[in-house]
Amino acid sequence: MHISEGILSAPVLVTGAGLTAMAVGYSLKKMEHKEVPKVAILSSVFFVASLIHVPLGPSSVHLILNGIMGALLGWTAFPAILVALALQGVLFQFGGVTTLGVNTLNMALPAIICFYLFNKGIRSENNLIALILAFACGFLAVMLSGIMVAAALVFTGEPFMQVAKLVIIAHLPVMILEGVLTAFCIGFLRKVRPEILNV
Amino acid sequence: MKNKLYLILTFIFLIIMMINIPVFAHKVNVFAYVEGDKVYSESYFNDGKKCVDSKIEVFDNQENKLLEGLTDEEGVFSFEVPQEEGDLKIVLTASMGHRAEYIISADELGDTVGSIKEELEEPVPVVSPEVSSFDLKEIQSLIENALDEKLKPIMKEIKKSQEDKISLTETIGGIGYIFGIFGIIAYFLSRKR
Repeated sequence: MHISEGILSAPVLVTGAGLTAMAVGYSLKKMEHKEVPKVAILSSVFFVASLIHVPLGPSSVHLILNGIMGALLGWTAFPAILVALALQGVLFQFGGVTTLGVNTLNMALPAIICFYLFNKGIRSENNLIALILAFACGFLAVMLSGIMVAAALVFTGEPFMQVAKLVIIAHLPVMILEGVLTAFCIGFLRKVRPEILNV
Repeated sequence: MKNKLYLILTFIFLIIMMINIPVFAHKVNVFAYVEGDKVYSESYFNDGKKCVDSKIEVFDNQENKLLEGLTDEEGVFSFEVPQEEGDLKIVLTASMGHRAEYIISADELGDTVGSIKEELEEPVPVVSPEVSSFDLKEIQSLIENALDEKLKPIMKEIKKSQEDKISLTETIGGIGYIFGIFGIIAYFLSRKR
């Protein structure tokens, strides 16, 4: 999911960095003082989740958890993901400095889209509906991220079919895994700490 | 005013920190070594899985592409040592935007191509030149082979140490950084209100 240095063309990199900067600025302005600890904790969750590798076919994938980030954080997912990705880049050489903007956008924008789509649903009275929508939230967030990675590569000039095939095949198991994890997580929070969801 | 100054300083610090880090790709690594007159490159993801059917490109030190090819099932791609002088840059492009580079220095390559030629050019006085040059060449290749054989485990060790295994200290340190950064953000938010 982390695009490396030296792959994308300059216009794609600049667009990604610009959009990320705007979104982070907006969400920092919007962020409430009391939200900060929650954002920090979820940021570190995101940071660690990417280190968990799931061996899979010819490639190896890792958890992303941007569905959970979106569902629990909303717009503040942007700074949370940016900080986590920056540290992954510095400490583990995941992604890179120039691709930080694009990578953040690829993972945080789907989180926010899922926030708007499922925000109400996962807080619904009906437990079953909430769990199903939580699954959809995790599933869709990864799918959208995959599509955005593919788009970034296609705009740089890689053949579309090859990229699209890879994204679908490589991410399908992650989508399911993340869907289940998100459903589990939301279900757990609804039972144990409903106040986190009610913010 | 003061707030802004602090913020700018923090950013400058972060940027400097990032620039100094050598750039590797996330998830893929490529490692290459010379054996005999061939260069072998091995490609693997950072959990140790091999990169199959990934594109390898070889550049000389002027960024001219010399050759390219695909890795086999073991993630290995090999090619003859090219005639060009200078360092070779091996670039791996794996699926989904993963990329890695490895540079083989000229000395490493020179050992195999250069030395035989140099030795041959020196006139050998006692025996007839044909026989001696043949012997020299044979001895050279024997030594090369023996050394390659002996060095194999060491090469493997080096390769292993280059796999960027994620350490616990770094992970915990990273979490600490995140809390620190959000602590700074919280500080600014609290001053704003």
